[in-house]
Amino acid sequence: MEKKNGQIRIGFYICHCGSNIASMVDVAKVSEYAASLPNVVVSKDYKYMCSDPGQEMIINDIKENNLTRVVVAACSPFLHENTFRNATFQGGLNQFYFQMVNTREHNAWVHLEAMATTEKALDLVRAAIYRVAEHKPLERKKVPIHPDVLVLGGGIAGIHSALTLANAGKKVYLVEREPTIGGHMAMFDKTFPTLDCAACILTPKMSAVKNHPNIVLWTYAEIVGLDGFVGSYKAKIKHKPRYIIEELCVGCNDCIEACVYKEARFLDEFNQGLSKRKPVYMPFPQATPQIVLIDPETCIHFKSAKCSQTCVTSCERNAVDLQQQPRFEEIEVGTVIVATGFKPVDARKVPYYGYGNFPGVYTALEVERLINASGPTQGEVVLRDGSHPKTIGIVHCVGSRDKHTNQWCSRVCCLYSVKLAHLLKEHTGADIYNFYIDMRTPGKMMEEFYNRIAEEGMKFIRGRVADIYPDRDDPQRKRLIVKAEDTLIQEIIKIPVDMVVLSTGLEPREDAQEVRRMLNITCSTEGFYIERHPKLAPVNTFTDGIFLAGCCQGPKDIPDTVAQAGAAAAEVLALIDKGYIEIEPNTAYINEEECSGCKSCVPLCPYTAISYIEEKKKAFINEALCKGCGTCVAACPSGSIIQNLFEDEEIFSEIEGILNFRNIQREMSYA
Amino acid sequence: MIADIESLRGVTLETLYDTPEGRLIKSCIQCGTCAGSCPHGEYMEYPPRRIIKMMQLGLLDKVFDSDSMLKCVNCYACMSKCPREIHLTEVLLQLIKEQTIMRLPVVPQELQKALENSYRYGNPMGESGRKRINWMQNLDVPVRILSQNSQPVDVLWFVESYPSYHPRGQDTARAIAKIFNRLNVDFAILGNEEKSAGECGMLSWESGLAESLVDYNMAIFTKYKFNQLVTSDPHALDAFLYRYKMFGFKAKVTHVIPFLWQYFDKLKPMLINKLHYSVTYHDSCCLGRHNGYYEEPREILKAIPGIKITEMVHNRSNSICCGGGGGGMWLDTYFKSQNIERLSDNRIKEAIETGADVLAVACPYEMPRFEDALKVAGYDGKMVVKDITELILESMED
Ligand SMILES: Cc1cc2nc3c(=O)[nH]c(=O)nc-3n(C[C@H](O)[C@H](O)[C@H](O)COP(=O)(O)OP(=O)(O)OC[C@H]3O[C@@H](n4cnc5c(N)ncnc54)[C@H](O)[C@@H]3O)c2cc1C
Ligand code: SF4
Ligand code: SF4
Repeated sequence: MEKKNGQIRIGFYICHCGSNIASMVDVAKVSEYAASLPNVVVSKDYKYMCSDPGQEMIINDIKENNLTRVVVAACSPFLHENTFRNATFQGGLNQFYFQMVNTREHNAWVHLEAMATTEKALDLVRAAIYRVAEHKPLERKKVPIHPDVLVLGGGIAGIHSALTLANAGKKVYLVEREPTIGGHMAMFDKTFPTLDCAACILTPKMSAVKNHPNIVLWTYAEIVGLDGFVGSYKAKIKHKPRYIIEELCVGCNDCIEACVYKEARFLDEFNQGLSKRKPVYMPFPQATPQIVLIDPETCIHFKSAKCSQTCVTSCERNAVDLQQQPRFEEIEVGTVIVATGFKPVDARKVPYYGYGNFPGVYTALEVERLINASGPTQGEVVLRDGSHPKTIGIVHCVGSRDKHTNQWCSRVCCLYSVKLAHLLKEHTGADIYNFYIDMRTPGKMMEEFYNRIAEEGMKFIRGRVADIYPDRDDPQRKRLIVKAEDTLIQEIIKIPVDMVVLSTGLEPREDAQEVRRMLNITCSTEGFYIERHPKLAPVNTFTDGIFLAGCCQGPKDIPDTVAQAGAAAAEVLALIDKGYIEIEPNTAYINEEECSGCKSCVPLCPYTAISYIEEKKKAFINEALCKGCGTCVAACPSGSIIQNLFEDEEIFSEIEGILNFRNIQREMSYA
Repeated sequence: MIADIESLRGVTLETLYDTPEGRLIKSCIQCGTCAGSCPHGEYMEYPPRRIIKMMQLGLLDKVFDSDSMLKCVNCYACMSKCPREIHLTEVLLQLIKEQTIMRLPVVPQELQKALENSYRYGNPMGESGRKRINWMQNLDVPVRILSQNSQPVDVLWFVESYPSYHPRGQDTARAIAKIFNRLNVDFAILGNEEKSAGECGMLSWESGLAESLVDYNMAIFTKYKFNQLVTSDPHALDAFLYRYKMFGFKAKVTHVIPFLWQYFDKLKPMLINKLHYSVTYHDSCCLGRHNGYYEEPREILKAIPGIKITEMVHNRSNSICCGGGGGGMWLDTYFKSQNIERLSDNRIKEAIETGADVLAVACPYEMPRFEDALKVAGYDGKMVVKDITELILESMED
């Protein structure tokens, strides 16, 4: 590359990142080398470039040395590109006269050989210095933001986010897949660590959602498509048929009474199958909204069309509509909060715990219903065989911390196991054994809670349960043996119990991957959605305008869920109240003179940003929709699509830079 | 199951920590699932969990001074449930066991004898190698012996010692020969050239006995051309898959049940006699837990007209060992002297609980063990033990 006669004056900086980069890359050598490259007038290394003094250094150097371009070699642009662009701007330059080199994630962190790592840094730096000389000034465009918000999922997370936003005067669409909001929390009797009644704290929030003028509550509805970008999303919502006209139903339950099934015969989902319901039913007494629904899987009309339809005739308000079809609706929103929650691990995945095989084995969620005053037995703990348990074993870590199922710790099971131990003792007076691997009680008041319950006289056995099987000493073979090594006394123990409670872990919903693809957000291989930064952007996703709240991001308790839901609402408010969003200028545009109107690019754009203008016979790219992926740029046969920040000269100079290594004295030869 | 057994060749307890397997061992969370799953856990001073802790602290000598690992019956129960998927039975326990046996003041007599016999005669019973094909007397179907006709063959059937010498094992060998003939399998055996695959040699890692049997059989295998090895002994299957592999053995190996499963469409129409049995099937540790064949034996049993299957409480991956593996076959007296209930006696109780009249097995060790256990339990006559191949034949023959 030629020296541009002093017009281009580059300042180069390499960051030590404490010892993250400096321990693997010889930063002094890199800065010395950069100084020798064309157009470089300032070259420095510094401990933390992202710190205030680091940024000040750039700003002052620009002013004092009349710099026209800046290159920083540091961490990933994800973290600090904006920081340094901003410093470039503060120094008086267009912020796009800046280029970043990733010498940490792409270099220091992934190699083991310091010498080679340094040489790689030299190559990367040279490429950036060649490239930046070609940079053009660009402006970020401002686009207005739609003030309405979509909240997906009406568990405690979605409820809290929706209420926070609605109270701030924003219009919220709360879309819940099930016929009622409430999520898992609605199923619990009491909640740790305070043992306050779940219904008492949740139901008022549920009715507040229902009655809030700013909240549009859609239950039994799902999102089936999302288009657009931050500030201007279009969501397609599917309303599943309830076979009840929602506006007419007042929840009087007359139709349930009138159903041709006189007895409830079908497993009740909300009660985990521990009780029965009719084909027409109310999910549970406090269901919100108070609207019944008909389950076509069990309704005679849908199975054989031979029902006298007593439900239809019984309804004075003519709310029953057996012809109802799914309905689709499109809404415009500026931001989305994903609060789709979790699913408990299927206890059958650990076959040796006998769930589904031995009637005395229950999941924790079933027990939550059993001890619930509004549950299938009104809170009386009766086993499937009608008896009352005198000894109970609670098995921790079912489907957690186990490579055969899920490797993570589900975070809430130790505490809810302790809670269930207390509640079961209170309800039954039984002898209670908790089998645990490690007792994990982080969080405010949690250890104190554990201590309080321990004082009630629970037995704690430190050992993961290895086997559960019917006791041969029980003539009826109903009693179960729970076998484990008590690792503290180093003995194998076999405890006979009447009831086993499996504390199943938390895992992503089955459709987590589908939802992720639809929303264009990322998730880990196991399926929990990934936050933009684990510490500093815990509720943001990598997609602007889409935020996370609650257990869809990872297992957590209610206090943390609510905190996160509030944070997500605050992030949304920060966006909306600013009124506009700035979009990155790295979009593509058509050079109309060159465009032959061949339309090759139109179908290729994954964001449908390209249209064809009939009158001009030219293609046109909508800047607001373009995400700068470059697909069309590469595809255009006449080379008439140009992408800002990725223009030919910029890319070619970068390539020239990376290949022009002949001028370095290689210190190492590679065998 | 361990991915790369070859890479463990030559590993010792000193070098194990630095292998990928060692990294797994370091991840142990001391949960005790292994000890709780172990059928002999109650009698071990050092069950796998404590062994790992002692190893971490450099105190393994204490472990070798105890006979804990002598009680390990190689049943894979601990390994299959370990939440960190540590290959306990496959690697660590074998290495510990080797040291334990080497340092025993006296090796229990029965076991000592079996080891010596295997070394000297190529079978743990101490029978003459020349009598290995005696099971073929009175057999009315042809069985090709490779030393007499060394034409290439599809299936090299590795008969193994129990089916060759034990009277009940011989019944199963004859059943297999007949079934293979009916199915037109192109098969042959090694005859008197065969020696035990070395399962009891697997008490040790690779030294001594195991190595000499491996060398011997590997040399014989190179003499003949065959496509695959089939054996009715799951222990031999294990030896070939996990020990011989370490020494470079590459042939395809199958157990006779999964092998017959491949012939299922042909086999099924041949099962014509209705057998009015209520059957419970005992999953052999090596066939089930270690190699994952749970459904094939059941599907074959279900295909026999008239058979009703009832499951024991512990089945499939949670099956309980008959106590014959890992040398247990020759330690009954030793265990008895320590007041340890024989595992076969324990297991038979579960079988009896099912109310079945036939206990179906797929491993030649189980036949004598369970027949004896039935006698002890006073159930002799009320329940019989049959190999699946015997049941197949019963349904086939006119
Ligand atoms: C047995 C048990 C006991 C517990 N006890 C306690 C306790 O005592 N104290 C405590 O603090 N924590 C407890 N927890 C943890 C607690 O359940 C969670 O912290 C809390 O429920 C998380 O709320 P959420 O809104 O994120 O998820 P969820 O409660 O799972 O709610 C998610 C909602 O989203 C809906 N949804 C899912 N997918 C979609 C979609 N695609 N479109 C629309 N809607 C969708 C679901 O139907 C659901 O209503 C317990 C957990 C378990 C398993
Ligand atoms: S089961 Fe696995 S993790 Fe648990 S103590 Fe045993 S070896 Fe360690
Ligand atoms: S392999 Fe079986 S016998 Fe050996 S330690 Fe593991 S569980 Fe116990």
